[in-house]
This record gives sequence, structure tokens and C-alpha cells, in this order.
Amino acid sequence: MIQFEKTASIEVLGAENYAKLRHTKVLLVGAGGIGCELLKNLVLMGFGEVHVVDLDTIDLSNLNRQFLFRQRDIRQPKATTAVKAVQHISNSTLIAYQCNIQDTEKFPLSWFSQFALFFNALDNLEARRYVNQIAQLLHKPLIESGTAGFDGYIQPIIPGETECFDCTTKETPKTFPVCTIRSTPSQPVHCIVWAKNFLFPQLFSTSTTASANEDLGTDDPLEIERIRQETNELRELQEYIKSGDESRIPTIIEKLYTHDIEKLLAIENLWRTRQKPVPLGRFDLTDAVNPDFNAVWSLQEQLDCLANATKKLMKRQATEDQIDFDKDDVDSLEFVAAAANIRAHVFHLPIKSIFDIKQIAGNIIPAIATTNAIIAGLSSLASLRVLNLMKGFPVKSPKELNMAFTARASNIPTHRYLSNPVLASPNSRCPVCSVPRGVIKISGKALSSTKLQDLIEAIRQKYHYPGEVSVVDKSTQRLLADIDFDDLLEKSLLDLKIRSGVLLMIADERDDVVEIRAGSEFYIQEDSKNCASHPFLLPEMKVKMVKSEVEPPQESLENGLDETTTNVAQSSDVLIIDEDESGSKRKLEESELPPNKKAKHTEELVLLD
Amino acid sequence: MAAQARMRNSRVLIINLGSVGTEITKNLVLSGIGSLTILDNHNLCKDDIGNQFFSNREQVGVNRAVAAKLRIQDMNPRVKLDVFQDEFTAKPDTFFKQFDLIVATELSASHITIINAITRKYEISLYVTGLHGLFGYIFVDLIEFDAQDEKLKSAVSTMLGPISANREIIEVTERVDEEQNKVKELITTRNKFKPFETLLAEASLEGKLTRRQIKRLSSALPLLLAMFHFDMDFTDLTESSLAEKAIKVCKQLKVSPETLKPEYMKQFVEQASIEFAPVAAVIGGAVAQDCINILGKRQSPLNNFVFFDGVTLDMQVLEL
Repeated sequence: MIQFEKTASIEVLGAENYAKLRHTKVLLVGAGGIGCELLKNLVLMGFGEVHVVDLDTIDLSNLNRQFLFRQRDIRQPKATTAVKAVQHISNSTLIAYQCNIQDTEKFPLSWFSQFALFFNALDNLEARRYVNQIAQLLHKPLIESGTAGFDGYIQPIIPGETECFDCTTKETPKTFPVCTIRSTPSQPVHCIVWAKNFLFPQLFSTSTTASANEDLGTDDPLEIERIRQETNELRELQEYIKSGDESRIPTIIEKLYTHDIEKLLAIENLWRTRQKPVPLGRFDLTDAVNPDFNAVWSLQEQLDCLANATKKLMKRQATEDQIDFDKDDVDSLEFVAAAANIRAHVFHLPIKSIFDIKQIAGNIIPAIATTNAIIAGLSSLASLRVLNLMKGFPVKSPKELNMAFTARASNIPTHRYLSNPVLASPNSRCPVCSVPRGVIKISGKALSSTKLQDLIEAIRQKYHYPGEVSVVDKSTQRLLADIDFDDLLEKSLLDLKIRSGVLLMIADERDDVVEIRAGSEFYIQEDSKNCASHPFLLPEMKVKMVKSEVEPPQESLENGLDETTTNVAQSSDVLIIDEDESGSKRKLEESELPPNKKAKHTEELVLLD
Repeated sequence: MAAQARMRNSRVLIINLGSVGTEITKNLVLSGIGSLTILDNHNLCKDDIGNQFFSNREQVGVNRAVAAKLRIQDMNPRVKLDVFQDEFTAKPDTFFKQFDLIVATELSASHITIINAITRKYEISLYVTGLHGLFGYIFVDLIEFDAQDEKLKSAVSTMLGPISANREIIEVTERVDEEQNKVKELITTRNKFKPFETLLAEASLEGKLTRRQIKRLSSALPLLLAMFHFDMDFTDLTESSLAEKAIKVCKQLKVSPETLKPEYMKQFVEQASIEFAPVAAVIGGAVAQDCINILGKRQSPLNNFVFFDGVTLDMQVLEL
């Protein structure tokens, strides 16, 4: 294959910096809306090596904005498909993983340390926070990004120098994982999103027409068969709609609420901890239509409404070709409302009135391709500044660097397209980056021979915790020891499942003194090579004394510190290990991330990619 | 949806398919416009491989639009796609009549003036965009455009009358949103635009930005404007010739020549007309977003000049 250098990069960065770029290895977390755009940019710029991690597979609803994916790629892993789709323009080494970034066995800390920089192109808060913590732990720069509709932002994070992801409250829109929407809805809104964003476009506004000599990207006959079957199923429903044959409506309803549910039921591990849905079964349709949009209708009324709306939409399709959902278009609203409610019925969820559904559906913000493109472009430019590779614009201090928001996101004057404040200093109260943290290296042998007590003693001595401390395994939210709970001290680390990837959180428990030792966090990393002479190595770091405060003072709104996460030990759910005699389990709350109290758009639901 | 239907019936022409042209094409094709025509007389050279994701290494030497056609069509088979290998000046004026909107990239000032005369003659919306390394601009000429924006009514009603140099509120109607139990105002704003030639000759920031905003203005704006005063190939572009033209621009804009930072001038001289992929992504995203808006929804458009500074990520919309 003919190799070309990226000449625009050479011109902009200079030959020397370009050479550095060619040897730079970066991690891209997420291959969705922003991730696809970012990958394209990084490859065009000529980064030496890019590793792409994404857990998801491609869904039909991704295709109108994730430009690296095609119909034939549906159900394929996003990361590998995205990498394949940019090969023709790439002179970078590209490595894809279909994996959860938080999988510590697949991605131990040592794996992260190979990269010069991390890019977050994620759709959920939990993974963003996780990568942020890893970046803090390894002192690696991170470029964080996100979009919701026309709003978007990028924020470079330089550990120790600038604000981290958790230093300020982020507007955290509600997002739903695709599998919740497609397979395991647990709230009425999940069914509404399914009806509006998956079912409706699938039936009325997406084309499945493939070009005649379509390249399926594989020669494997089984794989080709799978893609064909996938496309056929989709096409079948569309054909029913296009046929205009009203007698097929019961078949459509049967497929959606009986056959598809039966298929889901066959995936047994979905239902171990969930209530099983009940397929719709036999039904009759009548022509009666309930005109009251404020009433909560019966199942029969929902079915009649769905059939009636489908009839009307079928007729319209003949002339309109493609119909998009619009909450003010009564046919499309009735269809989505009834379809969502019947699904809610099947999954034992509450039924809503059409009026309520109109409200909720109208507030679902679609992801917008152009916003993703702009944000990914900004993220790529910021990376060059962070890595100090822009010829002619050397960075003397990380505080010269800029973050950027699209104007609507920050309500800035109209003449600004972007707001670009310089990076702020870390928040001294940040629950993440103000906490001293380091890596405890431990040999495999020592994991079974070291008692919890031994490890705690070593930590207390090294970092000068004079009195009692509490120890929490942050990864699983288990309390391992505190002043009233010493049952586990004699157990070995192995018995307590403290192994590579576990994050231990230490807190000074004294409540009778003015100043206490600050809390600290330790990441456990199995490393037999470096621990030949000692069973384990504690990191070199200082843990300062801080004022003892039971209640952190209220922060002003401008300062935006999320108080729900200020004291992690208090707000996280703490679950005592269910050990034989200690027995009592005290689980405080569902392990749901704290909702952002100050989020402006609390009513808005966002479907991110 | 009416907006979607308008999008699907729209006919757009893109002139030149370099880096930013490619980005705009990608975004418009994803959005589902009706038909797209690409006009490009350049052949794919190896430099384009760093900028173009619709073609590959083996296609070097092939016309850029021709090389890209298959991949563009594959992204959305519904879009009616046509490519022409001519330079736009070789096409008769009447060729342009069929389009609702033209996006022109990689053009010199004299060519922008030519295409602008055509778009004015046939009342076609025009977006022009160009990049110089880390910097880029968007020029918009929609001639006259009535935008409709809805907002919550505040204590004071919105008044009719001019609100800025190029914009005037011509109608305000109230609507009670029964669902949310709130009063909303539907505001119609008349946007006036000027031809590129006039903008170049008259652009001024006087009375448009505060003194503080002018003081903190990026060097990118005067330098982007100064670059229009060179010919297509930038044959006599040097730091001193650029400084001379940029100082003139500063005077006309009514900003202090001290705004001009030496490192920015150096960058412009070295990177004249270079299209850098991440800058193309930002500019291409902004152009496409505005095109989609005016083709469909008719909310307030960009009016009339946008500059982007890829170093500080400063991006402003100025009524020049």
C-alpha cells in the first residue's frame, strides 16, 4: 500500500513536532457520535497510534449521525467497525476493543500508562468519572467532551494543574443505555424512547434500500447471511407498511409484542434479577377510538389507537415517502404513545396518557451530527496544545489552555459562537483530585499472605494516620474496616477480593480533634516483578492535615461544587460484606449516581450515542 | 414535519471538495438534504489524503469529486448526487439557477466576488468558507432572511425595531403554550446581508463590540480579512506585505494595529490556504449546521462573518 504523510499536519505542526505526533500513542474512549468524528480527525492528523474502546454495537438509530457506520454494520461492534472504516485514509496504527473501559482485568492500570493522552468521547457519567480518576492516578492529560443537541463542550484536564472532571458540577443529562431501551425497559420513558427513536423511524422514515452491488465488508458466508437476515427482518416490517395493506396491522402488532418479546425471554440471563415481560398474546381490534388525550386508556384502547394510527400513517406514506416523528403531528403522536404504552403493559410498567407522552417525547433531545463534528474538531485541536505540538504557539503553563463551550450551552452573548475560558485551578474541595492518591504495588504471593490488618498498619505508619481509620473498597462500595467494624482485619487480601484494580479509600476516623489527616486513595496493582524483596510497595506521596469538618459548608451556586459527592464516604452506598457471623447487611441506597441538583434542563431527556 | 420536508426538497451546490468541503458534504448528506451537486476541477493529490476521507490513496490523480462519489453516496443512498469536473467559472450563470443554496470553499477574493454576483442575481443563499492552517472564516450572504425564533416571554415585551447593524425585529406575536402554561413570543427578525465586495471594502467593528471586546480581539480576524487582499496563489505573501495589509484592515475595522500578534502573522504566512482537518471539522460543522437551519427551520442564521482561532478556540459571529 502506498504510504503518504499527512502534509497539512507537517505544515501546521512543523516537521519536528509532526515526528513526535507520529510517535504519540493515545486512547480514545467511545466510538459513538463524537468518537467517530474524533477518530477520523486523529487519523487525518497522523497520530502514531490510536486505541479505541467501545462496549456497544451499532444500532439503526446511530446511522444518521455516526458517519463511519452503514446499514450493513448494524449489530457489529462500534470500535472495530469504526477502525475498519478509516483504514483507507490512515497511516496510524489503530487498535480496537469491544470492551467496557472499566473492566480492570482487560484494562489494568498498567495498560493505561502506555498512552500520552486520553480522549473521553463517552455518553455516560460513570465511565467519564472512571477515566478521570485513572488520569488523576497516572497524571496523564485527559480531554473530556460531550454534546446534547446543539450544546457541546470540551475540557482539557491536566492532573494537578487544572480542574478535573469532578471539580465542578456538570449538567448531567439523563441518558439511557441502548440495551435498556431495546431489551430491558424499567421506566415508562424507556418505552417512549423505544417507540419514538427506534420503532417509529424504523417503520416510517428510514430507508433500507441497499445499492445493488453492496459491499458487505466480509467474505464469510455465515456473516453475510446474518447481515442479510438482519436487513430482511427490518425490511419485512417496512414492506408491510409500504404495502398499504391494512390487514397486515395485526401481524405487525404480533411481531412487536409477542414474537420479539418471546425472543427476549429466551435470553435467560436478562431476567435473573428482573421481572419477566409477558408477551401480549391474543388480541382483537375494533374501530373505536378514545378521543380523550388526558385519560389513561385501557389496553384495548391502546391497541385500537395503534392500529388506527398505523392505518393513517400507511396511507400517508404513499405520498409523503418518509414521515418523521413530530409531537404536533397527531398521527405520529398517537402511534408513538400507543406503541409505548403497549410495551409498558408488556413490561409491567405504568401506562401514561397521550398528553403526558407528548410532553416526554417532546423533551427528548436528539443528538446532532454537526455538534458532534464541531466538538470533536475542538477536542483534536486542544490535544495538540496539551501535547505542546503547535508550532509557533508553545504552551508555557497549562493554565494558558482553553476549554470551549458552544454558545447556547453557556448562555453567552450572541456574537460568540464559542466561549473559550482558560482552564481553572483544581478545586481544593474536589472529591477526586484533591484527594492524594497512588498505586500500591503488590506481589501475587503477598495478596494471599498479607492480612488486611498488615496493609492498614503499613498505610497508617507511612502516611501518619495516628488514630483509627476507615477503609472502603471504592470499586464495590464495601466497607472493609472502621472503628466499629474489625471483623475482617485478620482475613487475607485475597479472601477479601482485594486484587488488581481495586481502589481502597482511607479516611481518618477521629472526631475529637480539630485537624485530621486528609483522606487518601490507593489503587491496588499486582506487580510481582517490582515486589521481589517486599511483599508490597506503598507510593511516595504526602497526605496533608486538614480541618476536621463533619458538614462541609454550603457552596455558592457559582462555585458549583456538587455537595452530594463532597464526602464520598458519606454519599456512596456502603455495603458491609455479608460474612458469616458479622451478618448484618446495611445497604444504604441504590447505587445510582447522584443526580445533578443544579442541572438546568432537568426536564430534558437526552439520547446520546 | 415541514422542516424535514423542506430539507428533502432542497438542492445544494458545493464548490470544491477539499478538507472543509468534505466535512460540509458529510454533514449535509447525513442530514438528509434532497440533492447535492459537487463542482470541483482539481485532481486528488497526495496532500489531499491527509484531508479527505471520501477517497483513498489509490485514487491519486483522479478528479476529487469523482473519486469521492461512491463513498458519499454510500453514506446516504437517498441523496441525489451529481458531480461535475469543471471550474465554477466555466459554467454558464444559468447553471447556478437550479440551486437553493451554494457553499463555496477554497476560493480567492476575486472568485468569491464572481460567485456572489451570481447568487445575488438569482437570489440564492451563499456560504463561503476558507482555511489558513489553524484559522478559518465563514462568510454568509442570504441577501435578506426573515428568521423566526420562539422564546419565553419575559416581563418586558420584545420591541419592534433594529437590534443590531444588520438585524431588525419586524414582528412579535404571542402564543399561550397550554401544555407548559407559559406565554411564548414568536419573534420575526429580518436579517440583512451585504455582498462580499461591500463587506471587504467597508467592514468595521465600530459600535458593534465593546471597547474591552475589541481590545481582546483575536489577531485572526484582521489577518483573515487581510488574506483576501492577496491573489489566489499568495505569490507576494511575506510577513511585511501581510503586516502592511493587516494594518490597513485594522484601521478600517477600527481596532488597534497592536492587536496583531507576530506569532499569528508568521503562522498565516507559512500556512496560507492550508486546510487542516480538525479546523475543517469545526468550520464544516458550523457551516452545515447553519445551512440545515436555513433550509429547514428558519431560526436566526449566522450574520454575516465568522472567524475561528484554532489556537485559543475563539469563535465569534460579527456583523461586518
